[in-house]
Amino acid sequence: MCDGDAKICTLEEEIAELRRLLRDKEECLRALKIEKTLRNKFSGDLDRDEVVRYSRQLLIPEVGVDGQVALKKGKVLIIGIGGLGCPASLYLASAGVGELTLVDNDVVEISNLHRQVLHDESTVGIPKVLSACEKLKKINPNIKLIPKQLHANSETVKLLLEENQFDVVIDGSDNVATRYLLNDACVLNGVPLVSGSALQFEGQLTVYNYKGGPCYRCLFPTPPPPETVTSCGDGGVLGPVPGMIGVLQALETIKILTKSEGVVAGRLMTFDGADLTFRNIKLRPRSATCAVCGDNPTVKELIDYEQFCGSRADDKVHNISILGADEQIKPDKLDERLLIVDVRPELEYRMCHLPNSVNIPYSKIQSGKALDAIAESLNRNGQEVYVLCRRGNDSQRAIAALKPHLPGVKLINIKGGLHSYSKLVDDHFPVY
Amino acid sequence: MSISVKILFFAKAKELSGLKESQITLPETVSYKQLLQDVVNKYNLKPIEKNIIIALNQEFSEADKIFKLEESDIIAVIPPLSGG
Repeated sequence: MCDGDAKICTLEEEIAELRRLLRDKEECLRALKIEKTLRNKFSGDLDRDEVVRYSRQLLIPEVGVDGQVALKKGKVLIIGIGGLGCPASLYLASAGVGELTLVDNDVVEISNLHRQVLHDESTVGIPKVLSACEKLKKINPNIKLIPKQLHANSETVKLLLEENQFDVVIDGSDNVATRYLLNDACVLNGVPLVSGSALQFEGQLTVYNYKGGPCYRCLFPTPPPPETVTSCGDGGVLGPVPGMIGVLQALETIKILTKSEGVVAGRLMTFDGADLTFRNIKLRPRSATCAVCGDNPTVKELIDYEQFCGSRADDKVHNISILGADEQIKPDKLDERLLIVDVRPELEYRMCHLPNSVNIPYSKIQSGKALDAIAESLNRNGQEVYVLCRRGNDSQRAIAALKPHLPGVKLINIKGGLHSYSKLVDDHFPVY
Repeated sequence: MSISVKILFFAKAKELSGLKESQITLPETVSYKQLLQDVVNKYNLKPIEKNIIIALNQEFSEADKIFKLEESDIIAVIPPLSGG
Protein backbone atom coordinates (compact mmCIF):
# COMPACT_ATOMS: atom_id res chain seq x y z
CA MET A 1 0.00 0.00 0.00
CA CYS A 2 1.25 3.45 -0.79
CA ASP A 3 0.84 6.21 1.74
CA GLY A 4 -0.04 8.79 -0.85
CA ASP A 5 3.52 9.99 -0.85
CA ALA A 6 4.85 9.68 -4.39
CA LYS A 7 8.45 9.18 -3.27
CA ILE A 8 7.50 6.30 -0.94
CA CYS A 9 5.48 4.77 -3.74
CA THR A 10 8.29 4.95 -6.26
CA LEU A 11 10.83 3.53 -3.82
CA GLU A 12 8.52 0.67 -2.86
CA GLU A 13 8.02 -0.18 -6.52
CA GLU A 14 11.75 -0.05 -7.21
CA ILE A 15 12.53 -2.27 -4.23
CA ALA A 16 9.83 -4.76 -5.26
CA GLU A 17 11.35 -4.88 -8.76
CA LEU A 18 14.85 -5.43 -7.34
CA ARG A 19 13.51 -8.24 -5.13
CA ARG A 20 11.97 -9.92 -8.18
CA LEU A 21 15.27 -9.61 -10.02
CA LEU A 22 17.18 -11.01 -7.01
CA ARG A 23 14.79 -13.97 -6.75
CA ASP A 24 15.23 -14.78 -10.43
CA LYS A 25 19.01 -14.67 -10.21
CA GLU A 26 19.07 -16.76 -7.01
CA GLU A 27 16.82 -19.31 -8.66
CA CYS A 28 19.17 -19.48 -11.64
CA LEU A 29 22.23 -19.86 -9.39
CA ARG A 30 20.58 -22.61 -7.35
CA ALA A 31 19.66 -24.59 -10.44
CA LEU A 32 23.24 -24.37 -11.72
CA LYS A 33 24.69 -25.44 -8.36
CA ILE A 34 22.33 -28.38 -8.03
CA GLU A 35 23.24 -29.58 -11.50
CA LYS A 36 26.94 -29.29 -10.67
CA THR A 37 26.76 -31.30 -7.46
CA LEU A 38 24.21 -33.84 -8.56
CA ARG A 39 26.58 -36.48 -9.78
CA ASN A 40 29.46 -37.62 -7.65
CA LYS A 41 31.59 -40.70 -7.61
CA PHE A 42 32.62 -40.73 -3.96
CA SER A 43 29.50 -41.63 -2.04
CA GLY A 44 26.68 -43.97 -2.85
CA ASP A 45 23.23 -42.84 -1.93
CA LEU A 46 23.99 -39.23 -1.10
CA ASP A 47 25.69 -36.62 -3.24
CA ARG A 48 28.60 -34.48 -2.18
CA ASP A 49 26.51 -31.55 -1.03
CA GLU A 50 24.25 -33.85 0.98
CA VAL A 51 27.10 -35.56 2.80
CA VAL A 52 28.56 -32.20 3.80
CA ARG A 53 25.29 -30.45 4.51
CA TYR A 54 23.77 -33.19 6.66
CA SER A 55 27.04 -34.43 8.19
CA ARG A 56 26.16 -33.33 11.71
CA GLN A 57 23.00 -35.43 11.75
CA LEU A 58 24.46 -38.21 9.60
CA LEU A 59 27.01 -38.77 12.36
CA ILE A 60 24.27 -39.82 14.79
CA PRO A 61 24.16 -43.64 14.75
CA GLU A 62 20.34 -43.58 14.83
CA VAL A 63 20.29 -41.52 11.62
CA GLY A 64 23.27 -42.50 9.50
CA VAL A 65 23.06 -42.86 5.73
CA ASP A 66 19.93 -45.00 5.86
CA GLY A 67 18.14 -42.41 7.99
CA GLN A 68 19.19 -39.59 5.70
CA VAL A 69 18.01 -41.52 2.65
CA ALA A 70 14.70 -42.13 4.43
CA LEU A 71 14.37 -38.40 5.07
CA LYS A 72 15.19 -37.70 1.44
CA LYS A 73 12.41 -40.05 0.32
CA GLY A 74 10.01 -38.58 2.88
CA LYS A 75 6.88 -36.71 1.84
CA VAL A 76 5.29 -34.54 4.47
CA LEU A 77 2.12 -32.46 4.36
CA ILE A 78 2.09 -29.42 6.64
CA ILE A 79 -1.25 -27.76 7.28
CA GLY A 80 -0.94 -24.22 8.58
CA ILE A 81 2.23 -22.21 8.01
CA GLY A 82 1.91 -20.12 11.15
CA GLY A 83 3.38 -20.31 14.64
CA LEU A 84 3.68 -24.12 14.46
CA GLY A 85 4.11 -24.74 10.74
CA CYS A 86 6.96 -22.22 10.36
CA PRO A 87 9.39 -23.81 12.82
CA ALA A 88 8.24 -27.32 11.87
CA SER A 89 8.87 -26.79 8.15
CA LEU A 90 12.09 -24.88 8.85
CA TYR A 91 13.67 -27.86 10.61
CA LEU A 92 12.27 -30.43 8.19
CA ALA A 93 13.58 -28.52 5.18
CA SER A 94 16.93 -28.05 6.87
CA ALA A 95 17.10 -31.75 7.73
CA GLY A 96 16.62 -32.67 4.08
CA VAL A 97 13.11 -34.12 4.03
CA GLY A 98 12.65 -34.69 0.30
CA GLU A 99 9.22 -33.20 -0.32
CA LEU A 100 7.27 -30.72 1.75
CA THR A 101 3.76 -29.68 0.78
CA LEU A 102 2.78 -26.47 2.55
CA VAL A 103 -0.90 -25.56 2.90
CA ASP A 104 -2.26 -22.25 4.15
CA ASN A 105 -4.82 -19.85 2.74
CA ASP A 106 -3.71 -16.70 4.54
CA VAL A 107 -1.36 -13.90 3.63
CA VAL A 108 1.37 -12.69 5.99
CA GLU A 109 0.29 -10.00 8.45
CA ILE A 110 2.53 -7.89 10.65
CA SER A 111 0.92 -9.41 13.77
CA ASN A 112 2.22 -12.84 12.63
CA LEU A 113 5.89 -11.92 12.78
CA HIS A 114 6.44 -12.35 16.53
CA ARG A 115 6.03 -16.11 16.16
CA GLN A 116 5.88 -17.11 12.49
CA VAL A 117 9.59 -17.15 11.97
CA LEU A 118 9.75 -17.82 8.22
CA HIS A 119 8.00 -14.60 7.31
CA ASP A 120 9.42 -11.09 7.52
CA GLU A 121 8.49 -7.48 6.85
CA SER A 122 9.21 -7.80 3.16
CA THR A 123 6.64 -10.59 2.77
CA VAL A 124 3.73 -8.91 4.57
CA GLY A 125 0.72 -9.16 2.25
CA ILE A 126 2.18 -12.16 0.38
CA PRO A 127 0.61 -15.65 0.73
CA LYS A 128 2.22 -17.44 3.69
CA VAL A 129 3.00 -20.53 1.63
CA LEU A 130 4.98 -18.46 -0.89
CA SER A 131 6.76 -16.45 1.79
CA ALA A 132 7.68 -19.70 3.58
CA CYS A 133 8.84 -21.55 0.45
CA GLU A 134 11.02 -18.63 -0.58
CA LYS A 135 12.77 -18.66 2.79
CA LEU A 136 13.07 -22.46 2.91
CA LYS A 137 14.52 -22.56 -0.60
CA LYS A 138 17.28 -20.22 0.55
CA ILE A 139 18.14 -22.57 3.41
CA ASN A 140 17.94 -25.79 1.43
CA PRO A 141 17.63 -25.67 -2.35
CA ASN A 142 17.92 -29.45 -2.64
CA ILE A 143 14.41 -30.38 -1.57
CA LYS A 144 11.08 -30.15 -3.34
CA LEU A 145 8.75 -27.53 -1.90
CA ILE A 146 5.12 -27.45 -2.98
CA PRO A 147 3.21 -24.35 -1.87
CA LYS A 148 -0.57 -24.72 -1.91
CA GLN A 149 -2.47 -21.57 -1.13
CA LEU A 150 -5.81 -23.08 -0.27
CA HIS A 151 -8.25 -23.48 2.57
CA ALA A 152 -8.01 -26.92 4.17
CA ASN A 153 -11.52 -28.39 3.97
CA SER A 154 -12.95 -31.84 3.29
CA GLU A 155 -12.65 -31.47 -0.50
CA THR A 156 -9.14 -30.03 -0.66
CA VAL A 157 -7.68 -32.36 1.97
CA LYS A 158 -9.34 -35.43 0.41
CA LEU A 159 -7.83 -34.53 -2.95
CA LEU A 160 -4.39 -33.87 -1.48
CA LEU A 161 -4.31 -37.23 0.30
CA GLU A 162 -5.67 -39.09 -2.73
CA GLU A 163 -3.14 -37.62 -5.11
CA ASN A 164 -0.11 -37.98 -2.83
CA GLN A 165 1.38 -40.69 -0.66
CA PHE A 166 2.30 -38.65 2.39
CA ASP A 167 4.34 -40.35 5.08
CA VAL A 168 3.32 -37.87 7.74
CA VAL A 169 0.79 -35.06 8.11
CA ILE A 170 1.61 -32.18 10.46
CA ASP A 171 -1.29 -30.35 12.08
CA GLY A 172 -0.27 -26.76 12.56
CA SER A 173 -3.82 -25.44 12.25
CA ASP A 174 -5.49 -22.92 14.50
CA ASN A 175 -9.04 -24.22 14.93
CA VAL A 176 -11.09 -27.19 16.11
CA ALA A 177 -12.86 -28.03 12.85
CA THR A 178 -9.57 -28.44 10.98
CA ARG A 179 -8.22 -30.63 13.78
CA TYR A 180 -11.12 -33.09 13.44
CA LEU A 181 -10.84 -32.92 9.64
CA LEU A 182 -7.13 -33.78 9.64
CA ASN A 183 -7.65 -36.51 12.22
CA ASP A 184 -10.31 -38.25 10.15
CA ALA A 185 -8.40 -37.77 6.90
CA CYS A 186 -5.29 -39.34 8.44
CA VAL A 187 -7.23 -42.29 9.90
CA LEU A 188 -9.03 -42.93 6.61
CA ASN A 189 -5.75 -42.81 4.68
CA GLY A 190 -3.56 -44.56 7.24
CA VAL A 191 -1.16 -41.65 7.76
CA PRO A 192 0.28 -40.65 11.16
CA LEU A 193 -0.74 -37.18 12.33
CA VAL A 194 1.79 -35.11 14.23
CA SER A 195 -0.46 -32.78 16.16
CA GLY A 196 0.70 -29.63 17.92
CA SER A 197 -1.16 -26.74 19.47
CA ALA A 198 -0.38 -23.67 21.52
CA LEU A 199 -2.05 -20.83 23.37
CA GLN A 200 -0.63 -18.18 25.69
CA PHE A 201 2.10 -20.04 27.66
CA GLU A 202 0.86 -23.58 27.04
CA GLY A 203 1.47 -26.14 24.33
CA GLN A 204 0.45 -29.72 23.57
CA LEU A 205 2.02 -32.33 21.33
CA THR A 206 1.14 -35.88 20.38
CA VAL A 207 1.15 -38.22 17.39
CA TYR A 208 -2.23 -39.65 16.51
CA ASN A 209 -3.03 -42.76 14.51
CA TYR A 210 0.39 -44.32 14.90
CA LYS A 211 1.17 -47.94 15.80
CA GLY A 212 -2.07 -48.75 17.63
CA GLY A 213 -2.22 -45.43 19.46
CA PRO A 214 -5.40 -43.41 19.72
CA CYS A 215 -6.71 -40.80 17.30
CA TYR A 216 -8.01 -37.36 18.26
CA ARG A 217 -11.59 -38.69 18.37
CA CYS A 218 -10.64 -41.56 20.70
CA LEU A 219 -9.72 -38.89 23.25
CA PHE A 220 -12.22 -36.21 22.34
CA PRO A 221 -15.28 -37.81 20.71
CA THR A 222 -17.33 -34.63 21.13
CA PRO A 223 -16.15 -31.25 19.85
CA PRO A 224 -16.07 -28.49 22.47
CA PRO A 225 -18.84 -25.87 22.55
CA PRO A 226 -17.53 -23.08 20.25
CA GLU A 227 -17.79 -20.45 23.01
CA THR A 228 -15.30 -22.39 25.14
CA VAL A 229 -12.59 -22.29 22.46
CA THR A 230 -10.01 -19.50 22.64
CA SER A 231 -7.95 -18.60 19.57
CA CYS A 232 -4.47 -17.06 19.56
CA GLY A 233 -6.07 -13.93 18.07
CA ASP A 234 -8.17 -13.51 21.21
CA GLY A 235 -6.21 -15.18 24.01
CA GLY A 236 -2.76 -14.31 22.72
CA VAL A 237 0.30 -16.53 22.47
CA LEU A 238 3.95 -16.05 23.32
CA GLY A 239 6.11 -16.73 20.24
CA PRO A 240 8.53 -19.25 21.75
CA VAL A 241 5.64 -21.49 22.87
CA PRO A 242 4.38 -22.50 19.40
CA GLY A 243 8.06 -22.27 18.41
CA MET A 244 8.88 -24.98 20.93
CA ILE A 245 5.95 -27.17 19.89
CA GLY A 246 6.58 -26.67 16.15
CA VAL A 247 10.24 -27.66 16.54
CA LEU A 248 9.16 -30.80 18.40
CA GLN A 249 6.67 -31.59 15.62
CA ALA A 250 9.64 -31.57 13.25
CA LEU A 251 11.56 -33.86 15.62
CA GLU A 252 8.71 -36.38 15.83
CA THR A 253 8.30 -36.29 12.05
CA ILE A 254 12.00 -37.02 11.58
CA LYS A 255 11.71 -39.92 14.04
CA ILE A 256 8.73 -41.36 12.18
CA LEU A 257 10.45 -41.02 8.80
CA THR A 258 13.62 -42.67 10.08
CA LYS A 259 11.60 -45.38 11.85
CA SER A 260 13.09 -44.42 15.22
CA GLU A 261 11.77 -45.49 18.61
CA GLY A 262 10.32 -43.15 21.18
CA VAL A 263 7.72 -41.35 19.05
CA VAL A 264 5.25 -39.45 21.25
CA ALA A 265 2.30 -41.63 20.22
CA GLY A 266 -0.04 -42.94 22.92
CA ARG A 267 1.28 -40.09 25.04
CA LEU A 268 0.33 -36.45 25.27
CA MET A 269 3.10 -34.03 26.03
CA THR A 270 1.95 -30.86 27.71
CA PHE A 271 4.26 -27.89 27.98
CA ASP A 272 3.82 -24.94 30.28
CA GLY A 273 6.20 -22.15 29.43
CA ALA A 274 5.15 -20.15 32.50
CA ASP A 275 7.03 -22.46 34.87
CA LEU A 276 8.82 -24.46 32.18
CA THR A 277 7.29 -27.83 32.96
CA PHE A 278 6.91 -30.71 30.55
CA ARG A 279 4.52 -33.52 31.38
CA ASN A 280 3.92 -36.75 29.56
CA ILE A 281 0.41 -38.10 30.00
CA LYS A 282 0.05 -41.75 29.09
CA LEU A 283 -3.02 -41.98 26.84
CA ARG A 284 -5.49 -44.74 26.24
CA PRO A 285 -4.94 -47.09 23.30
CA ARG A 286 -7.16 -46.83 20.22
CA SER A 287 -10.83 -46.94 21.25
CA ALA A 288 -12.82 -49.87 19.88
CA THR A 289 -15.91 -47.64 19.86
CA CYS A 290 -14.24 -44.65 18.16
CA ALA A 291 -16.43 -43.16 15.42
CA VAL A 292 -13.59 -43.11 12.90
CA CYS A 293 -10.86 -45.58 13.95
CA GLY A 294 -13.01 -47.98 16.02
CA ASP A 295 -14.12 -51.50 15.10
CA ASN A 296 -17.41 -50.34 13.59
CA PRO A 297 -16.71 -46.82 12.37
CA THR A 298 -19.62 -44.52 11.50
CA VAL A 299 -17.38 -41.93 9.86
CA LYS A 300 -16.26 -43.61 6.63
CA GLU A 301 -15.53 -40.52 4.62
CA LEU A 302 -14.81 -36.88 5.40
CA ILE A 303 -17.82 -34.97 6.66
CA ASP A 304 -18.69 -31.29 7.04
CA TYR A 305 -16.46 -30.36 9.97
CA GLU A 306 -17.72 -26.81 10.36
CA GLN A 307 -21.18 -28.26 10.89
CA PHE A 308 -19.89 -31.02 13.17
CA CYS A 309 -18.06 -28.51 15.38
CA GLY A 310 -20.56 -25.68 15.04
CA SER A 311 -17.67 -23.35 14.27
CA ARG A 312 -15.77 -22.12 11.24
CA ALA A 313 -12.56 -23.76 10.12
CA ASP A 314 -10.40 -20.72 10.77
CA ASP A 315 -9.52 -18.56 13.76
CA LYS A 316 -11.20 -15.43 12.42
CA VAL A 317 -14.02 -13.76 14.26
CA HIS A 318 -17.25 -13.65 12.28
CA ASN A 319 -19.64 -10.75 12.58
CA ILE A 320 -22.90 -11.15 14.40
CA SER A 321 -25.95 -8.92 14.02
CA ILE A 322 -28.40 -8.96 16.89
CA LEU A 323 -29.50 -5.32 16.98
CA GLY A 324 -31.88 -3.22 14.90
CA ALA A 325 -30.62 -0.69 12.35
CA ASP A 326 -31.67 2.23 14.60
CA GLU A 327 -29.41 0.92 17.38
CA GLN A 328 -26.25 1.08 15.29
CA ILE A 329 -24.02 3.78 13.88
CA LYS A 330 -20.97 3.74 11.63
CA PRO A 331 -17.80 5.03 13.30
CA ASP A 332 -17.50 7.98 10.89
CA LYS A 333 -20.88 9.31 11.98
CA LEU A 334 -20.21 9.65 15.71
CA ASP A 335 -21.49 12.62 17.71
CA GLU A 336 -18.38 13.62 19.67
CA ARG A 337 -20.38 14.95 22.60
CA LEU A 338 -21.71 11.52 23.53
CA LEU A 339 -20.14 9.08 25.94
CA ILE A 340 -18.35 6.07 24.46
CA VAL A 341 -18.30 2.92 26.61
CA ASP A 342 -15.48 0.62 25.45
CA VAL A 343 -16.39 -2.93 26.55
CA ARG A 344 -13.06 -4.62 25.74
CA PRO A 345 -11.03 -6.24 28.53
CA GLU A 346 -8.96 -3.74 30.52
CA LEU A 347 -5.73 -5.18 29.09
CA GLU A 348 -6.84 -4.41 25.53
CA TYR A 349 -8.12 -0.97 26.53
CA ARG A 350 -4.65 -0.19 27.84
CA MET A 351 -3.08 -1.26 24.54
CA CYS A 352 -4.99 1.49 22.72
CA HIS A 353 -8.26 3.36 23.09
CA LEU A 354 -10.19 6.39 21.92
CA PRO A 355 -9.39 9.39 24.13
CA ASN A 356 -13.01 10.18 24.96
CA SER A 357 -13.99 6.64 25.98
CA VAL A 358 -14.47 4.89 29.32
CA ASN A 359 -13.68 1.22 29.87
CA ILE A 360 -16.37 -1.07 31.24
CA PRO A 361 -15.38 -4.64 30.25
CA TYR A 362 -18.05 -6.96 28.82
CA SER A 363 -17.07 -9.61 31.37
CA LYS A 364 -18.18 -7.18 34.11
CA ILE A 365 -21.42 -6.48 32.27
CA GLN A 366 -22.05 -10.23 31.96
CA SER A 367 -21.56 -10.73 35.67
CA GLY A 368 -24.02 -7.89 36.39
CA LYS A 369 -21.33 -5.85 38.13
CA ALA A 370 -21.23 -2.98 35.65
CA LEU A 371 -24.67 -1.44 36.04
CA ASP A 372 -23.65 1.04 38.73
CA ALA A 373 -20.60 2.18 36.77
CA ILE A 374 -22.71 2.71 33.67
CA ALA A 375 -25.47 4.48 35.55
CA GLU A 376 -22.89 6.81 37.09
CA SER A 377 -21.30 7.61 33.72
CA LEU A 378 -24.75 8.25 32.30
CA ASN A 379 -25.69 10.76 34.95
CA ARG A 380 -22.71 12.79 33.89
CA ASN A 381 -23.17 12.32 30.18
CA GLY A 382 -26.85 12.28 29.33
CA GLN A 383 -29.07 9.41 28.29
CA GLU A 384 -27.45 8.36 25.01
CA VAL A 385 -24.36 6.14 24.97
CA TYR A 386 -22.18 4.62 22.30
CA VAL A 387 -20.93 1.09 22.96
CA LEU A 388 -17.65 0.06 21.35
CA CYS A 389 -15.37 -2.99 21.21
CA ARG A 390 -12.62 -4.46 19.02
CA ARG A 391 -14.74 -5.72 16.11
CA GLY A 392 -18.34 -4.80 16.95
CA ASN A 393 -19.60 -8.14 18.29
CA ASP A 394 -19.13 -7.91 22.06
CA SER A 395 -20.53 -4.36 21.95
CA GLN A 396 -23.77 -5.79 20.53
CA ARG A 397 -23.83 -8.50 23.18
CA ALA A 398 -23.19 -5.87 25.85
CA ILE A 399 -26.11 -3.79 24.61
CA ALA A 400 -28.40 -6.83 24.59
CA ALA A 401 -27.37 -7.58 28.19
CA LEU A 402 -27.71 -3.99 29.40
CA LYS A 403 -30.94 -2.98 27.64
CA PRO A 404 -33.40 -4.62 30.06
CA HIS A 405 -31.67 -2.96 33.02
CA LEU A 406 -31.46 0.54 31.59
CA PRO A 407 -34.91 1.61 30.42
CA GLY A 408 -34.95 5.10 28.97
CA VAL A 409 -31.29 4.93 27.97
CA LYS A 410 -30.43 4.73 24.30
CA LEU A 411 -27.51 2.37 23.74
CA ILE A 412 -25.98 2.66 20.28
CA ASN A 413 -23.57 0.12 18.86
CA ILE A 414 -20.54 1.40 16.95
CA LYS A 415 -20.63 -0.87 13.93
CA GLY A 416 -17.52 -2.88 13.20
CA GLY A 417 -15.83 -1.60 16.37
CA LEU A 418 -12.32 -0.20 16.46
CA HIS A 419 -11.29 -2.15 13.36
CA SER A 420 -13.88 -0.19 11.44
CA TYR A 421 -12.93 3.06 13.21
CA SER A 422 -9.36 2.61 12.01
CA LYS A 423 -10.55 1.96 8.48
CA LEU A 424 -13.11 4.75 8.21
CA VAL A 425 -11.93 7.48 10.57
CA ASP A 426 -8.26 7.36 11.48
CA ASP A 427 -5.84 4.66 10.39
CA HIS A 428 -3.37 5.73 13.07
CA PHE A 429 -5.52 3.70 15.42
CA PRO A 430 -3.77 0.29 15.61
CA VAL A 431 -5.63 -2.71 14.22
CA TYR A 432 -4.69 -5.78 16.24
CA MET B 1 -13.32 -42.36 54.18
CA SER B 2 -12.36 -39.31 52.21
CA ILE B 3 -8.95 -38.17 51.10
CA SER B 4 -7.38 -34.92 49.91
CA VAL B 5 -5.34 -35.04 46.70
CA LYS B 6 -3.63 -32.51 44.49
CA ILE B 7 -5.35 -31.42 41.29
CA LEU B 8 -3.77 -29.56 38.34
CA PHE B 9 -5.60 -27.52 35.71
CA PHE B 10 -4.51 -26.93 32.15
CA ALA B 11 -5.61 -24.60 29.34
CA LYS B 12 -9.35 -23.78 29.46
CA ALA B 13 -9.75 -25.68 32.74
CA LYS B 14 -7.22 -23.31 34.29
CA GLU B 15 -9.14 -20.33 32.92
CA LEU B 16 -12.57 -21.53 34.07
CA SER B 17 -11.44 -22.62 37.53
CA GLY B 18 -9.16 -19.61 37.94
CA LEU B 19 -6.60 -22.01 39.40
CA LYS B 20 -3.42 -23.67 38.28
CA GLU B 21 -3.57 -26.19 41.08
CA SER B 22 -5.65 -26.99 44.15
CA GLN B 23 -6.47 -29.69 46.70
CA ILE B 24 -9.68 -31.66 46.33
CA THR B 25 -11.30 -33.94 48.87
CA LEU B 26 -12.73 -37.10 47.35
CA PRO B 27 -13.92 -40.49 48.62
CA GLU B 28 -10.95 -42.84 48.90
CA THR B 29 -12.67 -45.21 46.52
CA VAL B 30 -14.26 -43.26 43.71
CA SER B 31 -15.59 -44.04 40.26
CA TYR B 32 -14.42 -42.06 37.24
CA LYS B 33 -17.93 -40.65 36.82
CA GLN B 34 -18.13 -39.48 40.44
CA LEU B 35 -14.65 -37.97 40.25
CA LEU B 36 -15.49 -36.14 37.02
CA GLN B 37 -18.75 -34.85 38.49
CA ASP B 38 -17.09 -33.60 41.67
CA VAL B 39 -14.30 -31.90 39.76
CA VAL B 40 -16.68 -30.31 37.24
CA ASN B 41 -19.03 -29.02 39.94
CA LYS B 42 -16.39 -27.79 42.34
CA TYR B 43 -14.29 -25.97 39.75
CA ASN B 44 -16.89 -24.51 37.41
CA LEU B 45 -15.98 -26.77 34.47
CA LYS B 46 -19.51 -27.56 33.28
CA PRO B 47 -19.03 -25.92 29.84
CA ILE B 48 -16.15 -28.29 28.99
CA GLU B 49 -17.11 -31.42 30.94
CA LYS B 50 -17.33 -33.49 27.73
CA ASN B 51 -14.06 -32.17 26.38
CA ILE B 52 -11.47 -32.96 29.01
CA ILE B 53 -8.97 -35.66 29.76
CA ILE B 54 -8.81 -36.59 33.42
CA ALA B 55 -5.39 -38.02 34.20
CA LEU B 56 -4.45 -39.71 37.45
CA ASN B 57 -0.71 -39.70 38.07
CA GLN B 58 -0.02 -38.75 34.46
CA GLU B 59 -2.18 -41.54 33.09
CA PHE B 60 -5.40 -41.15 31.07
CA SER B 61 -8.45 -42.33 33.03
CA GLU B 62 -10.92 -44.65 31.37
CA ALA B 63 -14.60 -43.81 31.93
CA ASP B 64 -15.40 -47.21 33.50
CA LYS B 65 -12.59 -47.09 36.03
CA ILE B 66 -12.82 -47.13 39.85
CA PHE B 67 -9.93 -45.50 41.68
CA LYS B 68 -8.37 -46.23 45.06
CA LEU B 69 -6.87 -42.84 45.85
CA GLU B 70 -3.77 -42.17 47.92
CA GLU B 71 -2.54 -38.91 49.39
CA SER B 72 0.36 -38.66 46.97
CA ASP B 73 -1.92 -38.94 43.92
CA ILE B 74 -2.14 -36.10 41.44
CA ILE B 75 -5.16 -35.52 39.24
CA ALA B 76 -4.77 -33.44 36.07
CA VAL B 77 -7.62 -31.86 34.10
CA ILE B 78 -6.55 -31.41 30.49
CA PRO B 79 -8.75 -29.96 27.76
CA PRO B 80 -7.34 -29.89 24.23
CA LEU B 81 -5.73 -26.72 22.91
CA SER B 82 -6.60 -25.84 19.34
CA GLY B 83 -4.60 -22.68 18.63
CA GLY B 84 -1.43 -22.56 16.63
